Amino acid sequence: MNTKRDGVPSQDTSSFALPVVSDRPAPAADAVGEALEHAAANASATETGYGRTYWRSLEEKLGTPEYLEETRPEFPVGADLAPSGFVRREFMQLLGASLALAGATACSTRPQDERLLPYTKTPPEVAPGNPLHYASGMTLAGHTSGLLITAREGRPIKIEGNPQHPVNQGAAGVWEQAYLLSLYDPNRARVMRQGKSPRALRVLAEDVANLVNKAAPADGGARLRFLTEPGNSPMMGDLRNRILKKLPNARFYSYTAMTQDAETEATRALFGNQPVSARYDFAQADVVLSLDADFLESRPANLTYARQFADRRDPKNGALNRLYAAEARFSITGGMADHRLRVKSAEVLAVAAAVAQAIGGPAASVASAAAGKAQLRGTSEEVQKANAWIQAVVADLRAAKPGRTLVIAGERQPAAVHVLAQAINSALGNTGTTVHYVQAPVAEPFGLAQVRALVEDIKAGRVDTLVITAWNPLYALPSDAGLAELLNPATNPDRAKLSVLYTGLYEDETSQYVDWFVPAAHPLETWSDGRAVDGTVSIAQPLIQPLFNGMPESELLALFLTESYRPAYQMLREYWQGQATGQADFESRWETWVSEGIIAGTASPAASGAPDFGAATALVSGYNPPAAPAANELELNFVHDYKVFDGRFGNSAWLQELPDLITKMVWDNAALISPQTAKDLRLEPGAMAELSYGGQKLSVPVWTTPGLADGTVTVALGYGRNGLHEVVAKGVGFNANVLRRAAAPWFDGGATLTKASGSYKFSLTQTHWRMENRPIALDMSVSELAHPSKETEHILERVQGELKPGLQDNLPSFDYGNGYKWGMAIDLSRCTGCSACVVACQAENNIPVVGKEQVARSREMQWLRIDRYFEGAESDPKMVMQPVMCVHCEKAPCEYVCPVNATVHSDEGLNDMVYNRCVGTRYCSNNCPYKVRRFNYLHYTSGKTSTEKMLMNPDVTVRNRGVMEKCTYCVQRIERTRISARVEKRLIQEKELMTACQQTCPTQAITFGSLNDKQQRVTQLHEDERAYKLLHELGTRPRTAHLIRVRNPNPALEPAKSEAATEGSH
Amino acid sequence: MAETAITAPLDPLEPRHLVAPHHDDASLNETLLAHVWAKPGKGWFMLFGVTLSALGLLVIGVTYTLARGIGVWGNNQPVGWAFDIINFVWWVGIGHAGTLISAILLLFQQKWRTSINRFAEAMTLFAVMCAGLFPLLHTGRPWFAFWLFPYPSTLGAWPQFRSPLVWDVFAISTYLTVSALFWYVGLIPDLAALRDSSKTKVQRVVYGLFSLGWRGSGRHWHNYKIAYLLLAGISTPLVVSVHTIVSFDFAVSLIPGWHTTVFPPYFVAGAVFSGFAMVITLIVPARKYLGLRDVITDRHLENMNKVILATGMLVSYGYMMEHFVAWYSQNQYELWTFYVNRATGPYAGVYWLMIACNVITPNIFWFKKCRTSIPIMWVASIMVNIGMWCERFIIIVTSLSQDFLPSSWAIYTPTWVDWCIYIGTLGLFGTLFLLFLKFVPAVAVSEVKELQLELKHAAHLNGHGTHGAH
Repeated sequence: MNTKRDGVPSQDTSSFALPVVSDRPAPAADAVGEALEHAAANASATETGYGRTYWRSLEEKLGTPEYLEETRPEFPVGADLAPSGFVRREFMQLLGASLALAGATACSTRPQDERLLPYTKTPPEVAPGNPLHYASGMTLAGHTSGLLITAREGRPIKIEGNPQHPVNQGAAGVWEQAYLLSLYDPNRARVMRQGKSPRALRVLAEDVANLVNKAAPADGGARLRFLTEPGNSPMMGDLRNRILKKLPNARFYSYTAMTQDAETEATRALFGNQPVSARYDFAQADVVLSLDADFLESRPANLTYARQFADRRDPKNGALNRLYAAEARFSITGGMADHRLRVKSAEVLAVAAAVAQAIGGPAASVASAAAGKAQLRGTSEEVQKANAWIQAVVADLRAAKPGRTLVIAGERQPAAVHVLAQAINSALGNTGTTVHYVQAPVAEPFGLAQVRALVEDIKAGRVDTLVITAWNPLYALPSDAGLAELLNPATNPDRAKLSVLYTGLYEDETSQYVDWFVPAAHPLETWSDGRAVDGTVSIAQPLIQPLFNGMPESELLALFLTESYRPAYQMLREYWQGQATGQADFESRWETWVSEGIIAGTASPAASGAPDFGAATALVSGYNPPAAPAANELELNFVHDYKVFDGRFGNSAWLQELPDLITKMVWDNAALISPQTAKDLRLEPGAMAELSYGGQKLSVPVWTTPGLADGTVTVALGYGRNGLHEVVAKGVGFNANVLRRAAAPWFDGGATLTKASGSYKFSLTQTHWRMENRPIALDMSVSELAHPSKETEHILERVQGELKPGLQDNLPSFDYGNGYKWGMAIDLSRCTGCSACVVACQAENNIPVVGKEQVARSREMQWLRIDRYFEGAESDPKMVMQPVMCVHCEKAPCEYVCPVNATVHSDEGLNDMVYNRCVGTRYCSNNCPYKVRRFNYLHYTSGKTSTEKMLMNPDVTVRNRGVMEKCTYCVQRIERTRISARVEKRLIQEKELMTACQQTCPTQAITFGSLNDKQQRVTQLHEDERAYKLLHELGTRPRTAHLIRVRNPNPALEPAKSEAATEGSH
Repeated sequence: MAETAITAPLDPLEPRHLVAPHHDDASLNETLLAHVWAKPGKGWFMLFGVTLSALGLLVIGVTYTLARGIGVWGNNQPVGWAFDIINFVWWVGIGHAGTLISAILLLFQQKWRTSINRFAEAMTLFAVMCAGLFPLLHTGRPWFAFWLFPYPSTLGAWPQFRSPLVWDVFAISTYLTVSALFWYVGLIPDLAALRDSSKTKVQRVVYGLFSLGWRGSGRHWHNYKIAYLLLAGISTPLVVSVHTIVSFDFAVSLIPGWHTTVFPPYFVAGAVFSGFAMVITLIVPARKYLGLRDVITDRHLENMNKVILATGMLVSYGYMMEHFVAWYSQNQYELWTFYVNRATGPYAGVYWLMIACNVITPNIFWFKKCRTSIPIMWVASIMVNIGMWCERFIIIVTSLSQDFLPSSWAIYTPTWVDWCIYIGTLGLFGTLFLLFLKFVPAVAVSEVKELQLELKHAAHLNGHGTHGAH
């Protein structure tokens, strides 16, 4: 029997409390040695994937005297510390990583004399057991979002959005939430190497210095190239400029998978080649038309947009906005749309042109340039329907007040569509009201064109040294980008002439072909800065010293200056000090920036001038649309994955196990087709098929999703990874990049999908998509809610009516006096289904990941799930999302069946789950009508490496095998807040207590508080006319109320009485 | 003289013999104890080998389960209970025939029970032992399963008495205790007979120990009869209570398909139904190979088939009522469970198998030919046992796999460990049963002798023109 105690670290106590300050008796001689030692010490069972043979040979190598000599540190230890004064230094030694300032030592060589010491003089802010919060930032593909990170005893354990950050406003998406897991990922690269030999930083520094010293006088670095992520960091921009000053002929290319190529191209054309970006204000927009734009979920601005949009979906805030969406895939935004038009991606241009033509003004002239480029196809009935849709949209756009509409083009659409969208906006007077042109936070050009230029450089033999800091380009680039062929010695006979340095968090697909690999420091391990999408600069402070000896990107690039070593902290500080010359008291300003996480007043200024559509029309007329698919061909669509993005989050088990927002699929991607297309192609869901396009073939299983455009196939990018050491990501899903071509990176016709032999087993967390006419996730039009029909009245009576005493209400009532009576409200009108709450809950509550096989057995552990239902016809359904977690029934069916009192009612109304009393009969779960309980069928929390243990929230029990668990309404947060409230002899205020899901929700769909307080928002929402209780008729009296989702359909497209929504056949 | 008296029909309504007519006490002793003294034959050893191998599967399955956790079973979310509770209910049900035959038929003075009660009681005991394994094993942390018992805990925590699982603990443990006592008390005179006819010292000492110094004195018989009757009285409510309480596990919950007031009587009828079927399944071969045809006569078998027919009808009525109430209430969830999910859902095959076995099969016993045909009744009894297992599968798995919120619906599929443990309990049952046949008389010898004397006496009176015995 396994009676392993929860949460106690097995042997490795050194890295549990204060991971950085090593108490090992004999510290390794240097950075590489320590990395090796760390790797060896942590090579536990779960890490066996980390190159077994690789390490063995390294250790052998390590033993040789040459190696020891080679890696001997050049300078005495500690010499590289920032000269920051006695107090600070002592402070750092004491606290190790627990304080953000300790990141000042985030360099690769550490003092040898660090010892664990008790707090003799405790700094006032440090109390063991109390969390500390630090503002920081996460840079993703050229945009930095503001974070607020909770650290416990020196370990960051939870990421939230920075409430002061103008974009985040406290919210965070799934990637921010899961960011933490990558910090502690035991698969992260640990060793700097040249070829297969481990190297010390000194060797790299010497190498770089030699190169620079030789190149600078000779040709000004003409044979040096850098491939980086878009530079949104002012400090890095400065660094780049200084490198270019030293090596004027070197070139920087920027590339990231997050494509804003088209948008940038369009805005540049509109503004005379200035770097301008468009910002939208959904708060002002009464009518929104999305042209394949998934603005509620696609980065970077989605958090702001989602909040603004959601505020307009609440009838309490005035008239609802109306969203029209035209798209081929089924996106989150499409799911929120009042009217969604299924069109092929290539036909979105036709929709845009038709709308523009009808709107007139400058839009019409741009539209005429698009004439003949695209047209709506399909049966005449379909075309007629689409035209009626377009007419209704146009009428609605026209009917709205000038400047109160918004047309937004999607990132996957070509620049022509973006120009058309902006032309329509301009014609409707939206410029300056709902559309603002600002100077782009990333000034430089970036995108596939840059990679093309780099590849040409290399092909022409103009490059000797290539430094790659962009994420994994060899995986992420389209198959014909050519970079992989150039780096692979097997395909490039001249490969030996090229020296490639790559830095990354993992040994991945790119690292296998590089000459130098430098393990990168995780951004939470180092200092950096970056601009958010609105231009606001965040200072990102580290939360911990590098766990795996990674090197910050800034320090790596600084090697090319061949100056004396300065840690990232020093560089950052000096840069900002330089920016603030002439202003008094830099120190206090700096501290404000660091502690608040943002530099106030750095938002991008408005772009000068007005958009010039005349110039931009060339983009439309020059656009070469993809050929229409032939009769038996499909349109192939690539999309970024909602979970792993372009693959860079592939090694995050939280995200892999997060159900896909639409398909509810975990640990996989698939070729998604509509049920009709599946029928036409005679493909069953789960059948293996061969997807061929442009001469390439991909064997991929098929899955059907209602609501996709017929004749299209959609594949998410980011899967099929085969990085060397990315154990989690490896072998998950199918790599669609092999089909992707630079000419048509997002969609193109001419794909075929043919049945292949075999089938494939997907793991889905939700397999049934119909509500079976049950009143579960309620969804109706505003007018229906205001004037309910008989049928609606009946449903409302069922979910809101009084319970019949004795029949539906026969358990004793509780009395809560004047105390708390916790409750929650979830507004389905606001919920987009983005799933940030699911990951937030997972991080907050130490929820284990169980793997694909266990999910296939229907044993996923996420306490919070988002139920996704489709309504209406299978071909063109509406979608409704419903977050469900334990609803904390007032009269709970789980409580009376537990034989051992392991789930009991608290005197504040919570259904407490007593883990250590639970024997695991699962009766509570059987009797739970909401099926929100999760059972530890196996010991899912075993086998954690020492770094993974650091991730655990110490306020929450790590559950053992055989124990039931479920949502607790974040009882640990309630208790922590209670401490301060009790000390101050007052009740907990609404503002100071938020559950993890509520906190991160970008649309503020979740509200939590005490129902005993009439003033609290949650109480008001419970009394809202839209509030209802899930499965109300059972008499369980849930503490969580759901609010009916309201839609705002256009009467022209959906007559008010046509609610005879017949359900599909599945 | 006596022979002719007994062979003469006692009663036109009871044309068949309860005891073959040519026996006296000595020959009964010889016949009924013979299988204990005889060296077990090849067949016995072969069967024993089979059941021991199956028992081995149980050991493997249980060990693996304890080592890894019940995640090695197929149970999931939402199907929290599956094979574990199906098998539990199935085995408890099988155990019911024993108590019914021993206690209720004794109280009703049904003389025909005499030859089969020992057999049925042993079956009960072993079946309840098999059943008892599951509630223990099915907990996530079986090492804490004792928390279900009320004991003076240092935690100051008691079980939660509102939970039917706690009622189960009491019901099952009481049932096991009383069944064991009842069986053992009934055995004492026979153990003494074995002691007296022992051929070796070891046998004499062992049987002597277990016969508790029985000498067959009038005082012994007097006390024995009172004790036996009292135990019968105690057991009688148990026949009803055990399965009623087991049915509460479901009826008390709110899951559509479980939340049904008809469950207690319907479960009891089902239990007797399956229990009698299991007795037929076992007794048909046993009476042949143990040479017990003289005491377990065709009339016994026919009577048992009548019980199967009657309880089968009760079970069918239960199904009907479930469906009727679902329709009559027009409750959306109930309608789905009974009319869509069960009949056409993913487990429709199991459902229709259940209907075929439990509703259709027993109807063949309307015909006397079927009631008295050994092969037909044997096959039918096995079908009933399969059907009753399917019934529990339908009630438990089907109801759980599709309940209120369609988003949580999921399919359950058993794993090899589930099958191992199920087959393993069959092995445990078989092993115990074979050992029982080897070491203890399978028929209550003393009672048969008593019955024979009563019959003789009755025949004698009958010969003098008075009324017949039962």
